[in-house]
Amino acid sequence: MSDAYEVVWPRSSQAVELQDLADRPDSLDGRTVAFLWDYMFRGDEIFPIIAEELKARFPTVEIIDFDQFGTTHGDGEAELVAALPQLLRDRGVDAVVSGMAC
Amino acid sequence: MHQAATTAAGLGRPNLPVAVVPGHVDTQELSELERNVREITVPAVVANLTARPGDAKRPEEPGRREIVASGSFEEINARFLAERWSDGLPIIPPTHAAVEAFLAHTIFDADKVLGVVLPDNREVTVWSIAVNGVMAGCRPEYMPVLVALGRCMADPNYGVEHSGNTPGADTLITINGPIAAELGFNCEQGVLRDGFQANTSVGRFWRLMLRNIAGFLPHETDKATFGNTWRVAIAENETVLETIDWPNFAGAFGFERGDDVVSVSRYTGGGVVTSVYGQQAEHMVDYLADAIVSQTSWELVFTIGISRETYRPLLLLSPILAETIAASGWTKAQLQQALFDRARIPASRFEDYLGHWTNLVPGRRRLVDFVNTKKADRRFAESTDPERMVPIVGQPDHLLIGVAGDPLRTNAYVFAHNGMLGFPVAHRVER
Repeated sequence: MSDAYEVVWPRSSQAVELQDLADRPDSLDGRTVAFLWDYMFRGDEIFPIIAEELKARFPTVEIIDFDQFGTTHGDGEAELVAALPQLLRDRGVDAVVSGMAC
Repeated sequence: MHQAATTAAGLGRPNLPVAVVPGHVDTQELSELERNVREITVPAVVANLTARPGDAKRPEEPGRREIVASGSFEEINARFLAERWSDGLPIIPPTHAAVEAFLAHTIFDADKVLGVVLPDNREVTVWSIAVNGVMAGCRPEYMPVLVALGRCMADPNYGVEHSGNTPGADTLITINGPIAAELGFNCEQGVLRDGFQANTSVGRFWRLMLRNIAGFLPHETDKATFGNTWRVAIAENETVLETIDWPNFAGAFGFERGDDVVSVSRYTGGGVVTSVYGQQAEHMVDYLADAIVSQTSWELVFTIGISRETYRPLLLLSPILAETIAASGWTKAQLQQALFDRARIPASRFEDYLGHWTNLVPGRRRLVDFVNTKKADRRFAESTDPERMVPIVGQPDHLLIGVAGDPLRTNAYVFAHNGMLGFPVAHRVER
């Protein structure tokens, strides 16, 4: 087993380019924030707390709750993810909080 | 956090910010959860929404034919381990000559892209299949099977992106058609055991593809709580199936006997069913149905809850069991119907798995709630009696059946299934 081997890379090209993240507002006042939920890991208890805290910090923030979009996991997942960019544009969404992972 | 970071990188956004809830939310009292969210999660959410993270950079990656390492067998293996390109066992060094030998056994161009797979968003190419086939210890003539498996991995209906989920389910590959015998796949005694080059190396190939192409790495994108070593591929006993005139496993996907087909499905676990006793199908089916029920618990969220009727448990019958059942005049469809009629559990137990013992389906909903909102078939709520018996799958043919193993042992095996997170798919072997 002392022969020399020259070997190739076992991986392959990535099919996505590096994406720039969006610029952020200085404040969420007057902005619209959408919640997206995969209907797992107590998001139904956690998102209301986040909404309450965001409204306390930014009184004029508008929250669009997760039930306006449906689950991001399970049946219909691929269709929803594909439709999301337009859905978010249509609702004038400035920012998204997506959960819950675990 | 590692999973979030590496998954975001695969989506082209390695700097996508994440807000953490400390610990595991399911074990926290509401007061603890609320405190954690208010004090730790929310400040991170606010910061993430109001301060743009710095720009990300992506490291340069080698070209397809580029030599990335040279040296002895031991040196190559040490490098592949260090780079996390191998699974801990020695790999066969993927030299140009070795890869070309595999490419000689496919009708496709090396550059052909069969699809793109998450979480790394990498291309499944014929070249990458050959490279990982070499590494796994496959033989070059397996290449048509490996290419068909590449198509399975890239099939959106399979859902390879879920392969790192915490239950840690593993793929079972099934080979049907004349090619199975031609390549020496074991379909008899010890069919799930390592020791047969075709079965073992093809199973390993799948895991190496998950690692190197899809990008599933333990402690990062592969979050299996426990996990397993890969499952060896199996073949069905086509001779017995032809004798009893039952469709083979590929028949469930619309293929004919004689077609060369590979199929994949992710199973969360399984168990052997020993000493099935009886001289007639009617005598055997209660025990077999009970075994399917016994292997099924939280997976019911794939019948109702997370997805609708994507649960596909697999009953693997030894040939003598299949022959005895067929000798009673039962077709495979009749066996599926009999199992469907008997593999039932109390509705209250079903609901325990959905949202009492687990919180996989939030809201503590009852089966009748799903039926009333048209998210479940009416047969799951024919009454409101919590002890009424309900099916565990949506349709009889959702109970998949295969025939393999020791021809003369009266044992079976049941695999519990991971639903839409590894849904059964099949592709023709092209050669």
